[in-house]
This record gives sequence, C-alpha cells and structure tokens, in this order.
Amino acid sequence: MMKAESIWQADVQQRVFRELVEAFSRPGDIRDLSACVDGASAQRTVLATLMDGEMTLADPHGQIAEADWPLLQAKPGATESARYVVANGHRAPDFQPPLGSLESPEFGSTILIEVDSVGHGALSLDLAGPGVDGRRALRLTGLHPDWLTRRADWVGGFPLGVDLLLSDATRIVALARTTRIRISGEAF
Amino acid sequence: MNAMTHTTNAYNFGFLDEYAKKEVRRAVLKAIAIPGYQVPYASREMPMGRGFGTGGLQLTLSLIGPNEVVKVIDQGSDDSVNAVNLRQFIEMTCPGVSTTTKTAECTLVQSRHRIPELALTASQIIVLQVPYPDPLVVVEPSEDKRKTMHGEADYSRLLVKLYEDIVKFDEITISHRYPTRINGHYVIDPSPIPRWDVPKLNDSAALVLFGAGREKKIYAVPPHTRAEPLAFSDVPFRVEDFRDAAGRRRACARCGCTDSFLDEFVADSGSKTWQCSDSDWCDEQLLRTEHPQGELA
Repeated sequence: MMKAESIWQADVQQRVFRELVEAFSRPGDIRDLSACVDGASAQRTVLATLMDGEMTLADPHGQIAEADWPLLQAKPGATESARYVVANGHRAPDFQPPLGSLESPEFGSTILIEVDSVGHGALSLDLAGPGVDGRRALRLTGLHPDWLTRRADWVGGFPLGVDLLLSDATRIVALARTTRIRISGEAF
Repeated sequence: MNAMTHTTNAYNFGFLDEYAKKEVRRAVLKAIAIPGYQVPYASREMPMGRGFGTGGLQLTLSLIGPNEVVKVIDQGSDDSVNAVNLRQFIEMTCPGVSTTTKTAECTLVQSRHRIPELALTASQIIVLQVPYPDPLVVVEPSEDKRKTMHGEADYSRLLVKLYEDIVKFDEITISHRYPTRINGHYVIDPSPIPRWDVPKLNDSAALVLFGAGREKKIYAVPPHTRAEPLAFSDVPFRVEDFRDAAGRRRACARCGCTDSFLDEFVADSGSKTWQCSDSDWCDEQLLRTEHPQGELA
C-alpha cells in the first residue's frame, strides 16, 4: 500500500489551517509550516488543506503537478472565475481575478503566490490595517513588481478585492484585501 | 455516556467529516479577510437543536486540534447547562483535548453571551454563538436588500431606529446585541453580549469569531481592528451602570469585585443581590483576596 504524504492527513491539515488563521488574522506575520510540509512546498501544503471537490482552482503558471489534481479534487477553473488561484511570483499577473460583488465579496479570489523568500530580501513593505498592531514590516524576494500595482487596483473598492497568501518553501504570509501596503525599501 | 463510549471511534475527530470542516475553514478565512462580513456556509446538522450553539460548535470543531485547551462558557458560567453539554460533547468527539474553566489557561474559548472579564491574549481565539447575525433585520426583512445595504455600508435606517429610541426614551434602549461597526464598514450583531463586553472587541489581541448555525453565517473581528458601537456625537455609547440609588458602585456579593459585569439575583424574600457574571473571574478574585467567607464553587 502506498504511504500517503502527511499533507493529505487530517491532523496535519488542522495544524496548517490554524497557521492560516493566524496568518490571515495578522497580515505580515510570517508563519512557519516546517513541521507540516513533509518535503512538499508550503503552497502545495496549503492547497491540500483547503481544496476539495466544491472548489474551483486556477493554475495559470503550471504550479500544480498533474498527479496532484485528483488528490486535490478541485475543479480546474479559469483565472477570471476561480475561487482560488495559484501563481508563480516571478511572473507578472497577466489575468483578472474575480473580485466578488458588493453583495457577496467572498467570491473575490484567494491568490496563493509562490516567491523565493518570505521574510528576507530587497523588497520591503510597510503594512497597516486590520490585524496589524500599528505598522509591520515585511521583506520579500521573488515577487514581480506588477503584483503590487495590480493588487492595489484589485482591492481599491472594499469590500471587493482579492486576498493574497505568499509562500516560500516553508513559510507563509497573508496580505488581506484590507491590508494597506507601502513600498518602503528600494524595490528589486 | 457509557452507552456511547463503544461507538465513539465511529466518529471522525471533531465529529464533523473533513469535507464539512474544509468548508467551514474556507468561510473562516474569508470572514477574517473581510472584517464584519457575514460569510454564508452550509451549516451542518448537529446532534442537538439549532439554537443551542451549533454555529459556535461547528467553528470550534473545525478549529480544534488534539493539543487544544478548551473553555466553554454560557452567560459567563462554566457550569450552566449549555456550557456543560457542549463541553462534554467536545470531550467525547475530540479525544486528546483538555478542557478548563480558567480563562488564563485556555487556547480556545467557546462562549454564549459573554466575553471573559480577563483580557484575552494573542494566543487565544474566542468563538461566540450567535442566534441572529444580521443587525439590519430589525429595519429590512429582505435578505437580498440587506446584503446590498451591507455592501454599500448603508446603515441610515439603523441609525434612524437608534434615533427614535432617543426621542422616545432619552437613550438608546438596546441592552445586548449592540450594533457595532467593524473597521469603518460592516455593522455586525456582536451576539447577545451585554454592552459591557462591546468595547473588548475594539483592538482586541485575540481573534473573535462568530458562528450562527441556524442562520448559516460566519463572521469575524480580527485582532487589532476598529470596532465602534453605533452612537451619536451628542449621545455617546455607554456600558451598563451598576451604581445603587446612592450612586455607589455595587460590588459582587461573593468576591467583592467592583469592576466586573454583575448579574442580579432576587431572593425569596424579595431582596436583591449582585454577583459577578463571569464565574472564573469571581473565583480568581476570591483566591486573590484570600477571604474564605464565600463558598468556593
């Protein structure tokens, strides 16, 4: 019998979910998933935790291995309509994600972006907003500059918007639609 | 209970199946990302009546892990029926979790109608059980229209309702479920907590989650988020006043505390006494003063 990777197990997914709760509750706060990833990427671990047959998932940059789709059970969707989008931070966002509607802003997509490093790098962001006590600094490596300009457009009309979850190999950090971002360091 | 033990293994950890948990979890993350917005979800049938805290319970069961330390309270007390039943259900369906009555020790609090007096910390989450999630229901019967009003942050009719209170009674008469504006946009029903607890939502260190099982809604107040009770500049929001006729602040008859939310008790003789509503807080005050006159529960 094939031994299942631990990211598909319920107890691991519960721990990953609690890290996601912390991440979204406190934008800019870096959460470490090392104890949960079991050799997988943090992005893949998060997908395993959140996806099932009810969800639509778009993969414009080919982040997901063919063999993972049946395990995730998610329906492949277009970036224009999917509830979740996985992306590669090196590539510029060349799509328009759903932002939700005034009546149902939860249909604004959650975008999972894989970058080189969460917590280190030349790109320095200054964050404020719900979940941030005062201000918080966040450093990143490997995020194409267009992401921040496109995001600013996407979240301009609260409650509409998108919620971002950035990840590197083992760490995650969230930027909710309410998070105000100022680029403070020399960019790139 | 004994009859149940041999079948407990037939249940998944946390009673809910993993698909149900995933759905609640996705709703929780969106609720946190859109502070105060009521995210619809497919509230599952629980082995208890809707209205007994099934919304809060589904949140708790989706969050809980084997290392959790859970506290369950009902109207401030760990020992009232609703709290005892929910605690026993959690213990039965989540092997490994520990439960406590001490606010300082828990990692997860499920509560009906109170936020503990002891300030919660960043390492704690509080889940509130919600009977009626939508504060606009008193002014607009159509949910479609209410959703539009929420989206546009149009609360003019709710403010008119509060104004009519002032005209008729010289003050806003809402004693609990006080409409509270989150991050300057959505107005929430903070569940039937007294006014006393509403300021605790503002800039809270802990995440506050709300679950309405019957109405199938989940919403949240993230940590360090503005939560402002609706009021007028010339009629400010006030919490409950526990002063007696002579203007003195009443004290808890059991522990003597003069800065907690008090419940009123009427004795057979007709005389009234006041006691802390939060039983753990009351016990802690008793221990601190080391006055053995009160009977320790």
